[in-house]
Amino acid sequence: MIPIENFLVLSGLLFAIGLFGVLSRRSAILILMSVELMLAGVAINFITFASYRDTEAFSGLVFALFVITVAAAEVGLALGIVLRLFRERRTANVDEASSLKW
Amino acid sequence: MGIEFGMEQVWVLPAIPAALFIVLALLNPLLPRRGDFLAALGMATVVGLVFLVLVDYTSVFNGGHFEPDGTNVFSFDWVNIGQGFFIIEFSTFVDGITMVMLPVVTIVATMVIVYSVGYMHGEQRYGWYFAVLCLFVSAMLTLVVSGNLIQLYLAWEGVGLASYLLIGFYWERQSAAEAAKKAFITTRIGDVGLLIGIILLWRATGTFDIQEIIAIAKAGQIDETYLTVSMIFLFMGAAGKSAQFPLHVWLPDAMEGPTPVSALIHAATMVVAGVYLVARFSPVYAEVLIARDVILYVGLITAVMAASMGLVTSDIKRVLAYSTVSQLGFMFVALGSGAVGAAMFHLLTHAFFKALLFLGSGSVIHATHRQEVESLGGLRRKMPFTAAVFSVGSLALAGIPIFAGFWSKDEILHATLKDAPVAVYVTLAGTAMLTAVYTTRLVLLTFFGAPRDQHAFDHAHESPIIMNAPLALLAVLATVSGFLAFDQVGQALGLPGGIGANVFLEHAHHFTEPDYAFAGTATLMSLVGIGIGWAYWHGDSRRAVAARQWAPDLHALLVNRYYMDGLYQGIINRVILGAGSLIAWFDKKVVNETGVDGGAQAVSYLGYRLKFLQTGRIPNYAFGMALGVLALALVAIGNS
Repeated sequence: MIPIENFLVLSGLLFAIGLFGVLSRRSAILILMSVELMLAGVAINFITFASYRDTEAFSGLVFALFVITVAAAEVGLALGIVLRLFRERRTANVDEASSLKW
Repeated sequence: MGIEFGMEQVWVLPAIPAALFIVLALLNPLLPRRGDFLAALGMATVVGLVFLVLVDYTSVFNGGHFEPDGTNVFSFDWVNIGQGFFIIEFSTFVDGITMVMLPVVTIVATMVIVYSVGYMHGEQRYGWYFAVLCLFVSAMLTLVVSGNLIQLYLAWEGVGLASYLLIGFYWERQSAAEAAKKAFITTRIGDVGLLIGIILLWRATGTFDIQEIIAIAKAGQIDETYLTVSMIFLFMGAAGKSAQFPLHVWLPDAMEGPTPVSALIHAATMVVAGVYLVARFSPVYAEVLIARDVILYVGLITAVMAASMGLVTSDIKRVLAYSTVSQLGFMFVALGSGAVGAAMFHLLTHAFFKALLFLGSGSVIHATHRQEVESLGGLRRKMPFTAAVFSVGSLALAGIPIFAGFWSKDEILHATLKDAPVAVYVTLAGTAMLTAVYTTRLVLLTFFGAPRDQHAFDHAHESPIIMNAPLALLAVLATVSGFLAFDQVGQALGLPGGIGANVFLEHAHHFTEPDYAFAGTATLMSLVGIGIGWAYWHGDSRRAVAARQWAPDLHALLVNRYYMDGLYQGIINRVILGAGSLIAWFDKKVVNETGVDGGAQAVSYLGYRLKFLQTGRIPNYAFGMALGVLALALVAIGNS
């Protein structure tokens, strides 16, 4: 049996890489992709605990499915926003879209 | 008679004028004549019902079931908190004192309302005037039939409110608005004392029921010092309402109201509420003689001061106001000597002759539009009827035998001679003489001599019948009501034992064993007083002017009302307004500018500083979110 730590480390790594991407990238598309990485990490985490700790019920698995569904919807919405942004500003750089401030 | 009406139904008496008040206040523009006839008819009905109660009361007495302390005849729990810990009943109580007050209030009120139909004819707010009169009568009747102190206090404030509204009836006039305010605030000072007294008594006895309190106090279950203090506080309320020194200053100013109001509220009924209260608690005052002495001397000081001020006042109504204050002082002296019967008897006769005098002065004012005696004079030729009835009232006030005032005043003097230091008797007898002097002065200056204002004199005319009829009836009462206390009169009216014992709780000395020497002395004093008044003020008042120039300081002292109004104004200006401006400064600087404005400015400044956190850059926000999640995660780990 593969030890649970392996999966947890994998999910943690995916989440951390995703977080780094969200914070460091300037391109809206890359930020979105990083968010997807984070979501993947979270989903792996759910499934790990579901299959190791809570084998009787399906709540962890169902949650993972939810995460995937929501991620799909989110990407659909977010890509729409990025598309609008690109049409308005001719760029997908989020630093350019900073008019919502003091 | 189909419907039984007696002591059990006494609660109906205040209910009728209360209903009239609501009807008249709301609907008077819709009613013919603004509903004045409704007020008059309603009051006449109440007078009739009062006589039924009186008949019932005396029949109970005749049947031998009479309890001298009276009885609670109607009651229900009004407020009940904590299973009997705090009960306020709504109850009515009828005894001899009530049976004096009920006819006085209702008869004078009826006379005044009928008189007002003529006097107030064509005035603005005519309907409202009658509505407030009904409100007053309702509150006053509630007051005198109250079986417990909270109900009494409620009615006490009710009459105060009606008094305020009617003093300020001509509120367009600055002086009337100020007089109303002065009356309200001054009596309020006394009322606070009354409330403190009620609370103290409740704390000691656990009940508001007057008869229970009296029973507990008489049984000696309350610490004597505590009881003395409570009863003095109670007397404070009485002193405020009955215009006793040092709270007497409001009553002369209260004459700003319409004259019939002065007759009803500020002479015959409301101002005797204090006398009523003290009489009601007289069994307790008999236990605490220090409190009773306070009443005695306050009454004495008031009687002397007010009578002396009445000597120099030129406004005809103000003279009568000072006279009222002085006569109330007489009643309190009687109460202070323990002569409750004498006080209630004087209350009864005084109500009739003083209402007569006020309504008479109202006729003069109505006819001439003058109030200052300097611009009156010689009016007996123009208004013979008014002059005649006014003289009857004056003779009663001066204490000339057969007129009502003589009998009751003599009772008071006799009581002081019997139960108080001799100095009290001497002072009071002197005051009675002073009363005769200023009464004579008033009559001479108004109705005799040469007219001093020819225009006013030419304008003068006798009043219409609707004003003269109540005057005539009151003149009769001012003459004969003194005989009521005679045993023979009472027996002739079908009451064995007479009214003196029935209603006034005790036999009056005149009516059991006449003391001719004593009565003769009092009569002589009154005649001397009238003689002095005649000597000084008949004709052109030459001697009075000379006397004024002979003692200018004394005259100034009296004209300036012993400087008491100035003193109070000074206290208000210095102490109260001073403290007020200090508090205003604290409120403005500390509370407002530092506390409220300071807080607002701090928020505004912080907002200005913190708004730069909003960079509009998405990575910054994302970083903030990441930090937040991290913090939450750390908290979760720390908790697990």
